[in-house]
Amino acid sequence: MLPNNLQQTAAALAARDQFAATGLPGAKSEPWIYTRLQDVVVNPAQSAQASTSSEAGLVLHFDNGLLVSDDVTAPAGMVIRPFTDADMADFAAYLPDDHLLGTLSVGHVTSAIMIEVEAGAQISDLLTLRFTANVADQSAHPLVFIKQGAGSQCRIVEHHESHAALSAPLIVMDIGAEAVLDHAKMQADTDSTKHLSLTVMAVAEKADINSFTTAIGGQLARHETHMHLNGEHADVALSSIYMARGTQHQDMTTRMLHHVPNCTSSQLIRGVLDDTAKGVFQGKVVVARDAQKTDGQQMSRALLLSRQAEADAKPELEIYADDVVCSHGATVGELDETHLFYLKSRGIEADEARMMLIEAFLLDTLETVRLEELRTSLTTAIQRWMTGV
Amino acid sequence: MTLLEIKDLHAKIGDTEILHGINLTINRGEVHAIMGPNGSGKSTLSYVLSGREGYEVTGGDILLDGESVLEMEADERARAGMFLAFQYPVELPGVGGMTFLRAAVNARLREAGKDEVDQLAFVKLVRAKAKELGVSDDMLKRAVNVGFSGGEKKRYEILQMALLEPSLAVLDETDSGLDVDALRIVSEGVNALRGDARGMLVITHYQRLLSHIVPDFVHILAHGKIIKSGDKSLALEVEENGYAGLIDAAE
Repeated sequence: MLPNNLQQTAAALAARDQFAATGLPGAKSEPWIYTRLQDVVVNPAQSAQASTSSEAGLVLHFDNGLLVSDDVTAPAGMVIRPFTDADMADFAAYLPDDHLLGTLSVGHVTSAIMIEVEAGAQISDLLTLRFTANVADQSAHPLVFIKQGAGSQCRIVEHHESHAALSAPLIVMDIGAEAVLDHAKMQADTDSTKHLSLTVMAVAEKADINSFTTAIGGQLARHETHMHLNGEHADVALSSIYMARGTQHQDMTTRMLHHVPNCTSSQLIRGVLDDTAKGVFQGKVVVARDAQKTDGQQMSRALLLSRQAEADAKPELEIYADDVVCSHGATVGELDETHLFYLKSRGIEADEARMMLIEAFLLDTLETVRLEELRTSLTTAIQRWMTGV
Repeated sequence: MTLLEIKDLHAKIGDTEILHGINLTINRGEVHAIMGPNGSGKSTLSYVLSGREGYEVTGGDILLDGESVLEMEADERARAGMFLAFQYPVELPGVGGMTFLRAAVNARLREAGKDEVDQLAFVKLVRAKAKELGVSDDMLKRAVNVGFSGGEKKRYEILQMALLEPSLAVLDETDSGLDVDALRIVSEGVNALRGDARGMLVITHYQRLLSHIVPDFVHILAHGKIIKSGDKSLALEVEENGYAGLIDAAE
């Protein structure tokens, strides 16, 4: 399943032209005000190093941005296939107009895969999307298009463990009416890797989505998610935890777009920042004029473990309807000295006490994860990160 | 046997000296009470003993089992046998009660070079001790001190003390916020832990706690100094006449 000439499709050519014309965002570009892009290497990898993934189960493995799993047997109700030229145009249509991350990876696509889930299919297998790389001077631009039919059920986890100049995956999910999706992303790229991802979800009526991102890797990472609530009574939870140390930079940017009435969205974001790391949360909830009875909640909290760490939060509500319940909030704080003292006064060592309090800080957000089997590995990843605190 | 020796202890918070030379010796098996009006330095003394940051010792020494603790962090002092029952126990949202208790007990065991507790056996032990102190299973399942009433928090402090078996227990205003029944339960819990193995320092504003936890010695603290020491009758004297006369007499 190596890419056909997707880079020559009209969609890719147009994206590449657009990307060349626009270039990287300047210092005054509003969406990139807290995350400045410098030295972004766009040098799409030509080949993978890992041959085929030996991993058992339902795993799609991209190495250097190229799909290397060539013998994946999709379960009944699911079709996995390479993109056709028409898919490229279809895929691009979901992306926001003239969006840097969209034009970047559509224009430089390294591999593209379509996953279709039939209407009504209840896929119990966990679909793993694994992204690896070992190319310090090249970039990876995998495209994943997931179409989930009405009433289907699906569970998807992304693992990002790349060592590359740039890992820039684009993921589009079209989620049908009454479909249920449990989605998680674990980003643990190496600390010299830039990670720029855009995920777009188009959500039909009564769909139920639980999406969770854990970001603990990369030199600079931007996780941008656009959620289009296109059908009434859809229910979306979009939460994340980011942890950064050294000079790492983590950026969670979300657009929650309530186009229709009666939808619910909730976002919990927790950041832990040490050393001179920087964390960014930009969350915009847009409620269209007709989207009455919208319930949109958003809460971001950042914990600074060092006085040199920085957290920037830009929560925004843009509400055109008049009968909605929306709230947002953002806090930045340190570990509470009285909490630490209480634990230490019981003989618990400072490091362990700090870890207990960081875990406690993340707990309510972790509890929103619906993928049960992921919770343990999430906790383990977080604990492993913390042993470096 | 001498457990705690406080020698000419001076301490300040920021630029303000609060303790102006405290001398106090506690032997194993003894219960000492420190009484004093608000602002006399009672809570400061408890924090200085337990090693809270921000409280600077500017003179004198604190010896536990003959060793100075001044260079020890709060957690080291705790593992060396010190326990502070807080006047205002701290709520720790997200920190599970059992996790917390086990971490504390294991820290102590590791220090002693012993194996960590078996999880099941530990739960059993905690439940048994909790029952004696009127700490419900529900409280044990909750996050530390979160949603506890004032009395429940104090009982939970004593439960921790019972599990950690300190050599020196400092009880800071343990009676505050307790109704009569809670005071009785807490006092019984404390009295059960009295014995030759440990000493206790009971810090209180009022005499009423001392009719439940009867001290061997009573010291009056005022303006950062112990101005008078005596036996339990001194507490009754305070109850009757207040602090003013004692303070005036000392000055």
